[in-house]
Amino acid sequence: MSKRITIDPITRIEGHLRIDCEIDGGHVTKAWSSGQMWRGIETILKGRDPRDAWIFTQRFCGV
Amino acid sequence: MKDLEYGSMNEETVCGFSRRDFLKFCSTLAVGMGLPLSAGAKIAEAVTAQKRPPVLWLSAQECTGCTESLLRANHPTLEKLILELISLEYHETLLVGSGKQAEEWRTKSMKEYKGKYILVVDGSIPVKDNGIYCKIGGKTVMSLLVEMATDAAAVVAIGSCSSWGGVPSADPNPTGASPAHEVLKNKGVKTPVVNIPGCPPNPYNFLSTVLYYVTFKKLPELDDQARPKFAYGRLIHENCERRPHFDAGRFALQFGDEEHRKGYCLYKLGCKGPETFANCPVQLFNDVGSGAWPVGTGHPCFGCTEKGVGFTVPLHTPARPKYLTPPSLFTEVYPGKEGISPGVKALAAGFAGAAIGAAGAAAVTGLGKKDDDTKDKGE
Repeated sequence: MSKRITIDPITRIEGHLRIDCEIDGGHVTKAWSSGQMWRGIETILKGRDPRDAWIFTQRFCGV
Repeated sequence: MKDLEYGSMNEETVCGFSRRDFLKFCSTLAVGMGLPLSAGAKIAEAVTAQKRPPVLWLSAQECTGCTESLLRANHPTLEKLILELISLEYHETLLVGSGKQAEEWRTKSMKEYKGKYILVVDGSIPVKDNGIYCKIGGKTVMSLLVEMATDAAAVVAIGSCSSWGGVPSADPNPTGASPAHEVLKNKGVKTPVVNIPGCPPNPYNFLSTVLYYVTFKKLPELDDQARPKFAYGRLIHENCERRPHFDAGRFALQFGDEEHRKGYCLYKLGCKGPETFANCPVQLFNDVGSGAWPVGTGHPCFGCTEKGVGFTVPLHTPARPKYLTPPSLFTEVYPGKEGISPGVKALAAGFAGAAIGAAGAAAVTGLGKKDDDTKDKGE
């Protein structure tokens, strides 16, 4: 009988990460990771002056 | 002044600093806020006399740049001071426990320090589709903000995202990214909010605000956008070291041209200093000496602190100067642009001394502003 555990938030990393895993007989049988935040920067970039792109893409991650 | 003479201080340490360095640090912060030097001693007293103020840090749609900026403040062992000066109860990036443990600690701290803790928010709050674009522990950050701010003594929105929306709120704002104060206002939460915009903001603007609060039990004087006046009271243009070049009409026109190499004014490359309020040229970054800020390194300011400028106006679009209109005799931003005959330009420039000419030149070159701003209201 498998058991499912969820760890959310995962700390000590940049961003909002969630991990779900299924455990069967002491072994992880399935696992999912998911980012819990979306800003749509790709969408924001559309139609802009290409010289402005770095201002946005640079801010995907500040680490 | 007697208490600020460091020479006779012994080797006693405060927060891991020598007493001498600690007092120096507090005095520097006091001066940065425009307070008398003696306030430094008061800050030192407040910091050491009482239990460290609890701080809970909520991360929304952010990139962790604000945290990085704060942790990388190169003032020696500043991170030690931050960690020992305030009691950082909850911060996703720094917390040891994950998942359930993190959530339990958050609720425990909120209960224990009800009405006393400072809530720091970085990142914008997505409100579109009931806030599903940012979740922590299965809860939307929108609901977490309301829950955590309700019981806080004060909210400090650090960074442009939580101050006015920042990057995620840029057109077309796919997630309905909103500033913290707006979400709280709409939900009827009355906790006072102070905004420290910047992408990232200068860590000392944040530290000074928190220390001011700890010392005087109230927020520093704020402007109409809830920004501390000591940090956002003046335009970048007012304190810029390249300002004499602006006044003399000496501009870089392209990256790497002779004027750019000479360190001339970057206004014509799109510098937003004339419409951006921040203390970057004075406070600088990373404690490495003069020139350590964007314009100092030869890049135009893009107005990251300013709502309606940063991430909104294209980088190389000329700024709309507030208070200060450049003399109409300045050469154009785009010399030889189609659609304006050279004769009109010459005519306008020729009459530049007279009122009609000045208006004409301003209209032709696009340097003028709609309202009358010829007076220097900023003093």
